[in-house]
Amino acid sequence: MTGLRSASRSRESQGTRAVLATTNRLTGFNAERSEILAEVHARVVNAYLKNASRGGDNSLEYILNEVAFSEIRRLESSPNSSPQRQIHRWRDLSNRLLRMSESEKRAELESLTWYYCRDIVGNFNPRVFRFASGVVPPVLSFLLSPVSSWREGMAALTEVGEKVQIQGPVDAVRAACRRGTLVVTPTHSSNLDSIVLALGLLMCGLPPVTYGAGKNLFTNPFISYFMRNLGAYRVDRRLRFQLYKDILKEYSTVLLERGYHSLFFPGGTRSRSNRIEERLKLGLLGTAVAAYRNNLMAGKQEGRIYLVPVTINYRLVLEAETLIEDYLAETGKSRYIIDDDEFTRLGRMIEFGRKILAHKGAVIVRFGQPIDPFGNRVDGDGESRDRRGRLVDPVSYLTDGSGEIGIDTQREAEYTRVLSRSLMESYRRDTVFLPTQVVARVLMDEIARRAGTRDIYRLLRLTGEAVRVPMSRLCDAVERLRKRISTSPPIGVLDGSLNAKPTPVVVGEALMSFGRYHTRAVVVPRDREVWVESMKLLYYYNNRLSHVAEEGVS
Amino acid sequence: MRQNKVAIVGAGRFGLALAHRIASAGRAVVVWSQKTAVVEEINRDHRCSRLPDVAFAPSLSATGDPEELARDARFIVVAVSAAAVRERVRQLGEVINGSHMLVHALGVLVSPGDIRVSRILAEETPALRVGALAGPALWSDLLAGSFASLVVASHFDEVTREGRRLLGVPPALRVYRGSDLAGVELAAALAGAFTVAVGMSDGLGMGPGPRSVLITRALAEAARLGDAYGAEARTFTGLAGLGNLLVRAQSEQWRDYRLGLALARGETPDGPEMASEGAQAAFAAVRLAERHSVRVPVLHAVSAVLAGRLEPAKAANAIADTVAAEE
Repeated sequence: MTGLRSASRSRESQGTRAVLATTNRLTGFNAERSEILAEVHARVVNAYLKNASRGGDNSLEYILNEVAFSEIRRLESSPNSSPQRQIHRWRDLSNRLLRMSESEKRAELESLTWYYCRDIVGNFNPRVFRFASGVVPPVLSFLLSPVSSWREGMAALTEVGEKVQIQGPVDAVRAACRRGTLVVTPTHSSNLDSIVLALGLLMCGLPPVTYGAGKNLFTNPFISYFMRNLGAYRVDRRLRFQLYKDILKEYSTVLLERGYHSLFFPGGTRSRSNRIEERLKLGLLGTAVAAYRNNLMAGKQEGRIYLVPVTINYRLVLEAETLIEDYLAETGKSRYIIDDDEFTRLGRMIEFGRKILAHKGAVIVRFGQPIDPFGNRVDGDGESRDRRGRLVDPVSYLTDGSGEIGIDTQREAEYTRVLSRSLMESYRRDTVFLPTQVVARVLMDEIARRAGTRDIYRLLRLTGEAVRVPMSRLCDAVERLRKRISTSPPIGVLDGSLNAKPTPVVVGEALMSFGRYHTRAVVVPRDREVWVESMKLLYYYNNRLSHVAEEGVS
Repeated sequence: MRQNKVAIVGAGRFGLALAHRIASAGRAVVVWSQKTAVVEEINRDHRCSRLPDVAFAPSLSATGDPEELARDARFIVVAVSAAAVRERVRQLGEVINGSHMLVHALGVLVSPGDIRVSRILAEETPALRVGALAGPALWSDLLAGSFASLVVASHFDEVTREGRRLLGVPPALRVYRGSDLAGVELAAALAGAFTVAVGMSDGLGMGPGPRSVLITRALAEAARLGDAYGAEARTFTGLAGLGNLLVRAQSEQWRDYRLGLALARGETPDGPEMASEGAQAAFAAVRLAERHSVRVPVLHAVSAVLAGRLEPAKAANAIADTVAAEE
């Protein structure tokens, strides 16, 4: 069932197995684009008009004022110059609101909904897709290779499969894809995740997915061109008012209902601490339940929705330095959008590619068993199974007392919480522990034990002897930790190298990785000791195992 | 019909008394018992030897077939012993689906892992719409039609709505709703442990003043533990917490209270008394408190006396919380 798919096998299949054309709904996206937008617009406007009669926070006046207020605040804090004209437009709306008739408010609501719908909507250009899927992997491969000659460079063009390893029950994911709509839900560590995942899907013969990409990623015209033409829709995370969130959710719901495979990062943003996601954003996730319910109400019994948990595991993370700085800085904890990290610097990206991703097994994409919108595991036939493996009909979760499918938003919100817990369990179970992370955890445990604290702000002040660990002690502790992990499957899986190679070799490789890419080495071997040079980065990599209990603690 | 019928798993005194109260309001109730004699007795005579003085209403029936139960009713109350709960719920899981609503009426944390019963419901069945029923509704009050109250707690509004509609028989049985499922389950379990403590205090003749101090400090530590557990502090002063404690800590009818009295006399019961739900809850709660690093002097003292590590007479000193300066 859950088998390791070697890179070479995947590479082999890449050439021979075409993308599942029948399930690539995105090829028909442009033809349906206007219809989709009209549908989203109608649903959102109708829902708001229906609720408006309740008055108070539901009144159109309140809704429109919230939009105007949020937009003014956003523009006023914008670093860009001359947003004055735009600010004036929103101030004008705010001033007019009190004098507006209900029909004028309605017209304004309709107009704003159109405006945001158009801002969000994506595009899919099959020609760009063919180009990207044919050309990008080899180019990426070339970029990511430590080549010293053109001959090696040409060889690298065909070796992309070596860089990204695929693991997990890929056959079950393909089976789910044939039976319903996929919602791919990966962990999120880096802006490279979407590229790596797109490549992973391609290597598995899975169709491309549509996804909401942060608007800040569209600032680079080159990346923006590909994103906009490969099905990505734009999510402006600066817009926090309800109308925008509802349009976004409805857009996602309609796409799922129409069979467009989608990608959400349920963590919402990259994990700053490098811990596996501990809390998920429920907004977009909830659209999986809503879309399934809408399908059933429309009589589309076959309109199943399958969530596909995925962990993306990097030996080193491109943006680690910025992310952990941000996590540790008190003010940084609230910084949601980072637009000045390593991802925006092409030189750092290429350096990362050549020094880190170029090495075999530097990135592992591990698929989890698909689950239904109620958190139940899905078997190879696309059927839901409860925790004891019994067949369960997902329709039954949505029926009311009379056996009819009903809309109950509170109930669906709870199901989404259940789903998020199920996804997090899957993330833990399917996290692949890489040598760098295991070594970081062991070093952290040793240093914290001697210091008598795990408080990172205290550990950051340690120097000298306090941050040195004898190599022999490190190797012994790594050996014990890997034994502990291999006997506790629910907490994660060990990377193949940790099982196949002797501990000193694995430790040596981890130390080499740690000294290779970051502006400052994380740790360095000196004499027969390991010296910690960057406690912050050590903490960052150790955090991937934060859910693993300390030695001797149950 | 199916949505108006209540199913009760277990034909113990509480389950039967609850079924009787609901059926006496004309509502259909079906009780699942594994004992054929009990099923036949109820269906044939409308009586049960477990509650010999009661004549059940005709709308109360019994079955030995869980499939029939699942077919006939969507709202199911699990009222079996802690020892039997996982097995019975597992059997139920074979016949129910996601449309069923399951609430339990057990005031315990279950070993191994000291887990809440609602988690067992979710683990052993496909049902997700689960909840808990707790409060000072004694089986004797339910039979007598006295003013009894229960709280039905669930994360699903739909479950609490249905619980109130199907179980409430005001004024004889008033059902309140709550969303703090973890709090209600923990409060109900802790009430048993604290009943042992109050029994000890009464057995030692401590008087009403120390008794009141004991109860208020117990509630304070329950709220602290609840807070660390993700529950709401006010749940512990509600029906499931204080309500449950007050009703139990006054009568030798209750095993937990009797256990406290016996401990105060210097007896070390090692039979069924020791296995009382309150005793088990005390041990479980201490483990839970250690995991969450919460101070629980009352529970520590109760478990120490139960384990024979502390004399009951010295427990009062141990309970006096020397760390807390503020209430």
